[in-house]
Amino acid sequence: MEKAQAILAALGGADNIMEIEPCITRLRTVVRDAAKIDESALKAAGVHGVMRAGTVVQVVVGPDADTVCMDIEDLL
Amino acid sequence: MNTRIVRARPLPVVAPVTGRAIALADVPDAVFAQNMVGPGAAIDPARGPGVVVSPVSGILVKLKPHAFVVTAEDGRGVLVHLGIDTVNLDGGGFVLLAEEGSVVPAGTPVIRWNPAEVEAAGLSPVCPVIALDADLTAVRALAGSVALGAVSAGDRLFTWA
Repeated sequence: MEKAQAILAALGGADNIMEIEPCITRLRTVVRDAAKIDESALKAAGVHGVMRAGTVVQVVVGPDADTVCMDIEDLL
Repeated sequence: MNTRIVRARPLPVVAPVTGRAIALADVPDAVFAQNMVGPGAAIDPARGPGVVVSPVSGILVKLKPHAFVVTAEDGRGVLVHLGIDTVNLDGGGFVLLAEEGSVVPAGTPVIRWNPAEVEAAGLSPVCPVIALDADLTAVRALAGSVALGAVSAGDRLFTWA
């Protein structure tokens, strides 16, 4: 849950998340404001990498993406 | 995350599909190509209906229509991803042949699919096979062990030192 909280905060908080869904190793998100994303905070939260294309952001968290995504959804 | 225990033996990883083994760097997806999830190899699958088999002996810990993870006895997990961005197909065209949580010896059929249909949907059918969270020493050894070129499902693809 701590990891989920850290990732959510680094993505700009619950208000910034329009959509989030897990693939097998990554979180696929659509955010309102891409400028609110803190990549260094995401790295500090233990994510493997971040891919961005406008407001579509993929956060590579590893094979526990399902669990992390459920934890984040609980926080939204 | 790093709860890996000391392991005695290198883990042989077999090709989950028939096709042509290529370097991970040649996969059209930055996350896989840059080893973000781990090192490994990829297979450009033969077009036409095919069966995807388990790349190692272990437990099928995660099963989605388009991807799965098998964890070997020593705790190491191998990810097989069927095509790129295929999560967008919402499972269409994939038939599950095994159940999540079941024991799958290497070579066990897990999913039936048709790479030609994936391609027809405008997606790459290339299948990354990833040594999840491999450490750096293993990465170097692994990169040198990939058998590039034509492979059949069940053939050795690489060795995870």
